[in-house]
Amino acid sequence: MATQVVDHSALKVNQAGIIVTVLVAFVGSAFYRPLLVLIPLLAVVLLLGTFAPQLALFKQLYFKILKPRGIVKPRPVQDRPEPHNFAQGMGGVVLAIASIFLLPLPVVGLALSLLVAVLAFVNFAFGYCLGCQIYFQLGKFGLIRAS
Amino acid sequence: MSTQLWALAVVGIVVLAAACLEVFRSRRARARSVGASAAPASEPYILYFTGDGCTVCRTHQEPALAKLGPVRVDKVDAIAERELADRFHVYTLPTTVVMSRDGAALHVNYGYAPAPKLERQLAEARTNLQAVATA
Repeated sequence: MATQVVDHSALKVNQAGIIVTVLVAFVGSAFYRPLLVLIPLLAVVLLLGTFAPQLALFKQLYFKILKPRGIVKPRPVQDRPEPHNFAQGMGGVVLAIASIFLLPLPVVGLALSLLVAVLAFVNFAFGYCLGCQIYFQLGKFGLIRAS
Repeated sequence: MSTQLWALAVVGIVVLAAACLEVFRSRRARARSVGASAAPASEPYILYFTGDGCTVCRTHQEPALAKLGPVRVDKVDAIAERELADRFHVYTLPTTVVMSRDGAALHVNYGYAPAPKLERQLAEARTNLQAVATA
């Protein structure tokens, strides 16, 4: 499958958005519990963005505000968007599961949310994308069409 | 606040367990791969396993390989060439394998391998070659 140009700055802004939102919900909920609503909202944002990129909130923030104003510089890379979308979708699913647990078992819900933030941070800081690796493994075993 | 602390502890344990598992898996795969063989060549060379969806391959590994100078690099699509990828127990991308002249795997790097590391491994492969030649 041919590669396209993927703006990696958009991916970084997306990852930064995930990290900040989860941290605000995590720390903030210790003082103001309703902030936990940010977790299901983030799940919805990530899942919507996976299936309809024009609805990806953080990427739109980058393309509509940060990039035009020169706040974040573009970094186009020959790449495939599918593994990144898969990773984002995976984050969305985990956050959706976390949302279910937030009221009955807040420790589980918060732990799952924090795990998503940790993985987003690892991708943001070191470029290691666990979702992309899972995408590769699924492709290797023929479970998805990865090439 | 105690809920947050418990959640933090749970994540800490999960991350630690994942890191230990990764180290174990990497060591086991490396131990199994060293000595695996591919085509012989006139000089030590590198087998570079990559894939269409591998971003780090494009942003980090390929620039590092380009810095190596005149070294043969055989680029292998790990999904299309699954048999070869399995022979070297490739479980992550990128994976680079430093091959000796006779086609034996000397060093296997799972994940991004920076240029100095590859240079050192290639130098070792050439030294081994000279030692064999002078013996």
